[in-house]
Amino acid sequence: MALSGMRGLSVFISDIRNCQNKEQERLRVDKELGNVRTRFKNEKGLTPYEKKKYVWKMLYIYMLGYDVDFGHMEAVSLISAPKYPEKQVGYIVTSCLLNENHDFLRLAINTVRNDIIGRNETFQCLALTMVGNIGGREFAESLAPDVQKLLISSSCRPLVRKKAALCLLRLYRKNPDVVNVDGWSDRMAQLLDERDLGVLTSSMSLLVALVSNNHDAYWSCLPKCVKILERLARNQDVPQEYTYYGIPTPWLQVKTMRALQYFPTIEDPNTRRSLFEVLQRILMGTDVVKNVNKNNASHAVLFEALALVMHLDAEKEMMSQCVALLGKFIAVREPNIRYLGLENMTRMLMVSDVQDIIKRHQAQIITSLKDPDISIRRRALDLLYGMCDVSNAKDIVEELLQYLSSADFAMREELSLKAAILAEKFAPDLSWYVDVILQLIDKAGDFVSDDIWFRVVQFVTNNEDLQPYAAAKAREYLDKPAIHETMVKVSAYLLGEYSHLLARRPGCSPKEIFGIIHEKLPTVSTSTVPILLSTYAKILMHTQPSDPELQNQIWAIFSKYESCIDVEIQQRAVEYFALSRKGAALMDILAEMPKFPERQSSLLKKAEDAEVDTAEQSAIKLRAQQQTSNALVVTDQRPANGTPHVGQLGLVMVPSSANADHNLEDQGLAQENGTLSKVDPQSPSPSADLLGDLLGPLAIEGPPGAAAPTEQHAIPASEGDPNPADALALAPVDEQTNSVQPIGNIAERFNALCLKDSGVLYEDPNIQIGIKAEWRAHHGRLVLFLGNKNTSSLASVQALILPPSHLKMELSLVPETIPPRAQVQCPLEVMNLRPSRDVAVLDFSYKFGTSSVNVKLRLPAVLNKFLHPIAVTAEEFFPQWRSLSGPPLKLQEVVRGVRPMLLLEMANLFNSLRLMVCPGLDPNANNLVASTTFYSESTRAMLCLVRIETDPADRTQLRMTVSSGDPTLTFELKEFIKEQLVSIPTATRPPAPQVAQPTSAATSLTDPGAMLAGLL
Amino acid sequence: MIRAVIVMNTQGKPRLTKFYDYMPPEKQQELIRRVFGVLCSRAENVSNFVEADSVFGPDTRLVYKHYATLYFVFIFDSSENELAMLDLIQVLVETLDKCFKNVCELDIVFNYSKLHTILDEIIFGGQVLETSSAEVMKAVEEISRLETASNTITLVPKSISGWRS
Repeated sequence: MALSGMRGLSVFISDIRNCQNKEQERLRVDKELGNVRTRFKNEKGLTPYEKKKYVWKMLYIYMLGYDVDFGHMEAVSLISAPKYPEKQVGYIVTSCLLNENHDFLRLAINTVRNDIIGRNETFQCLALTMVGNIGGREFAESLAPDVQKLLISSSCRPLVRKKAALCLLRLYRKNPDVVNVDGWSDRMAQLLDERDLGVLTSSMSLLVALVSNNHDAYWSCLPKCVKILERLARNQDVPQEYTYYGIPTPWLQVKTMRALQYFPTIEDPNTRRSLFEVLQRILMGTDVVKNVNKNNASHAVLFEALALVMHLDAEKEMMSQCVALLGKFIAVREPNIRYLGLENMTRMLMVSDVQDIIKRHQAQIITSLKDPDISIRRRALDLLYGMCDVSNAKDIVEELLQYLSSADFAMREELSLKAAILAEKFAPDLSWYVDVILQLIDKAGDFVSDDIWFRVVQFVTNNEDLQPYAAAKAREYLDKPAIHETMVKVSAYLLGEYSHLLARRPGCSPKEIFGIIHEKLPTVSTSTVPILLSTYAKILMHTQPSDPELQNQIWAIFSKYESCIDVEIQQRAVEYFALSRKGAALMDILAEMPKFPERQSSLLKKAEDAEVDTAEQSAIKLRAQQQTSNALVVTDQRPANGTPHVGQLGLVMVPSSANADHNLEDQGLAQENGTLSKVDPQSPSPSADLLGDLLGPLAIEGPPGAAAPTEQHAIPASEGDPNPADALALAPVDEQTNSVQPIGNIAERFNALCLKDSGVLYEDPNIQIGIKAEWRAHHGRLVLFLGNKNTSSLASVQALILPPSHLKMELSLVPETIPPRAQVQCPLEVMNLRPSRDVAVLDFSYKFGTSSVNVKLRLPAVLNKFLHPIAVTAEEFFPQWRSLSGPPLKLQEVVRGVRPMLLLEMANLFNSLRLMVCPGLDPNANNLVASTTFYSESTRAMLCLVRIETDPADRTQLRMTVSSGDPTLTFELKEFIKEQLVSIPTATRPPAPQVAQPTSAATSLTDPGAMLAGLL
Repeated sequence: MIRAVIVMNTQGKPRLTKFYDYMPPEKQQELIRRVFGVLCSRAENVSNFVEADSVFGPDTRLVYKHYATLYFVFIFDSSENELAMLDLIQVLVETLDKCFKNVCELDIVFNYSKLHTILDEIIFGGQVLETSSAEVMKAVEEISRLETASNTITLVPKSISGWRS
């Protein structure tokens, strides 16, 4: 072996090991470096063997953490040595020591290239390994074509080819512009036929890299990946050395499933079916066993399969099966599996509609919060945070609070931030929110950032009902013997503002309040003193009739601080002292703080920012981003004009619409008394006003454009496709006059809801209207979720339903006001009397502050909601089809201007419209037959049959025949389908619709026959 | 991709380090120290996963395995499967075991060049190259033969570990 042959090196390593301390080690290393340096200087005398020995020593020293800034040339020069051992050392050490931009590498390029194109396979391997490990640009430019040749060469051994594959991958990843992969799709497909599993594993990694960049070009690889997976899952033709603890090469299985996750969808039903069979087998056939290594391997495959199922949006049964499996995992003994179980549950929250099933495991997840392993505790916290909503917020937040006292210090900050965010997002009522935040400060004051207590002050200020409650709570906390300084700040602030509301309660007289707050003064830092001074001034102002004793006490404090070294404290003391001598005039100036303008919580913003991840994104993350959230979250997109100047929010009261007159008045008053020259709240003192600071982080928002990056990201994504339906959309009538602009595209939201049963119908900065519907025969039950996103109430809320003549609709009472951050549910009963395409409209209005908003929204109680898909056999279909012989029961029309789409896509569209496509009934592969049952009071259940004949030569036109037992129904259904075909709602396929469609079009061009054959 | 492989002992001394994205040596040492700081505080019988975002930046994961006096640590991004990485550590260790017959820390200290050779046959440029430890052994033995053939100097047997009391 290279090393054992070098006695000097072994001695050196022994010496290092014998060093008693770091200092001795450094001395020994310095000695050696000096030695090596001298030997390299008179290089002529060095034999290749000696050179090799010294270069190994350098690498060893480098690993110990010492900088080796010489000898690089010697390492590089060894690459050109003729003998294997020297060459090997040269390559290994160079790839460890040098980065891709090192000048010396250029010197080696020729040698490296000669080794790669040469005949010696071991040299080829060495060269490929170094190029792959370094991956520099110049290597890519001069070597990529040679490496490509090696990969596809039939004369090379697998040992070389698998390295060539990965070398190419590395060069491509680092320099995608240099490595030309055009036309590689066919070669890639060929490579996937490889029998050697080593080469296949490397090729699969290469495929992942290529597909992640451009999946369009590699569709032909998709069925091959599925084939490979089938082969491995069935353990066919897998040699013993690739069977790892009884599992056929888990890495290749994992990589293959990873590759499949980069394709947006799988069109071909046969491939899809085969894949799902394999996945099903993996999901069902994996058990937790005794052997840890076997467990790890089998679960590596299993978790990847779960990720793939999530990606493919499997039908709900498979999803709930996955959740059940994960539910089992989070309770097993094996910590790795518990960890991944929690992590994958969190991922699952992002990709599909399974929250309710996950909620069943809440108790177990809470238990994991107490797991001995901090990694697992963190995952449990993430999951609880992700799964929290209005229904379980109380339980989860209270659990987090309880856990806070025993949690590791490393987690407390994150924990308290998350608890605060959840409390704000999902508070069932605001007093609970105040309770939570105060408890948070009480239990983990050190970990509660200022943002958190600023926010609670903002809520209390904006909600009068809350003020006495908050003040009373603050008073209670002050009774505790030792409280955190943040608690002193928040209670002093709240009591200064609102303690007069408690005046009649025991222990709440101004004097008592002052006494208990003043007790804390000696314990607080200089940043808190100004807040206390303000509180004293306010208490004094609220003491009517004035209490001379209290007044003298407070004045004494003010005069004591008049000479304080801290300029902020000094200024306040002086000003308050002067102001408080003005008697009644003080009332105007020290009155309660005005309401804060509504703005996005800085906490939520912080949390959102943290979630923006710039690193390479896996397919799942990408998908999650493409889906817009349905959760009721405050993401304020208020235009900049709503942001007040910080100066306005100075301590002294200025009416929220601070106008100049008022200011003059204030100033006038001050001047009149002649005691004070500077009270103008509009010109803030040069030192940062502490309350300005208090409000600062809230008031100063980022540029409005940055307010909701994710949201803005989502909108263009869904608007990417010019949708003709927009033109048909019923625009909200008052949109132009409303100052409040809707968030998202109303027409698109409506279209999406026509195809699914829950989602957001409307959203603006103040309100979000969600909808959830259930349909049974000709009855429907919709629930409107009206969510107030603000911290103050929405007033004059009105919802009127304008039903078309064919629907009977009954809306339960809508409350006139929606309390802050609350969500109201309003059930709406629908009955379908007869077939019609007319649409019901919701006339919705509310007042917020001075602006009143009125929108008219189409309700997704549309014709297809009363359809019930039904499968018919040929024996049922044809007699029925023939019996309905012609108009008006059977109507035929040639539809032109159809949006071109693949037959498969059309089938998907029909299925999502609840028209069940019955494959195999029509012998012509270009045709499509669908059946469904329509329910209304007049028609009862009525079978409808549809036939579409397409022209593969011209996809923009087709012939449609619709038949049913009712002439109106036939006509309406025909028109309805026509509308859908001419304008396809973009939400047909939620993940990446605009990506998917051109893709399939491309495939259809390459091989329409195969695709159609696959369908029928 | 795999960002780094670190083998260190339970005192935090690095025994083999390989970074697949170039990193200056000071940075490497700092990372090794921080990884050690996290690992040494972990109990037995907990999971093999550690949050690595704070050490290596966003979107990184860390798995480790603890064998006798050594930690084997892999750092990688979200494009790899965590458990598969754990399996790969096992493959590396099993290969070392075959190579050195009951591998111990000393084997690794005195044969770190061989370790590099083995690692290069398992991980290539941050990607999984070979997962069959039999195949890795074949490749490594071939390299050893080549070295012996061109090496005229007498071999010192493996019992080197006996040198130190």
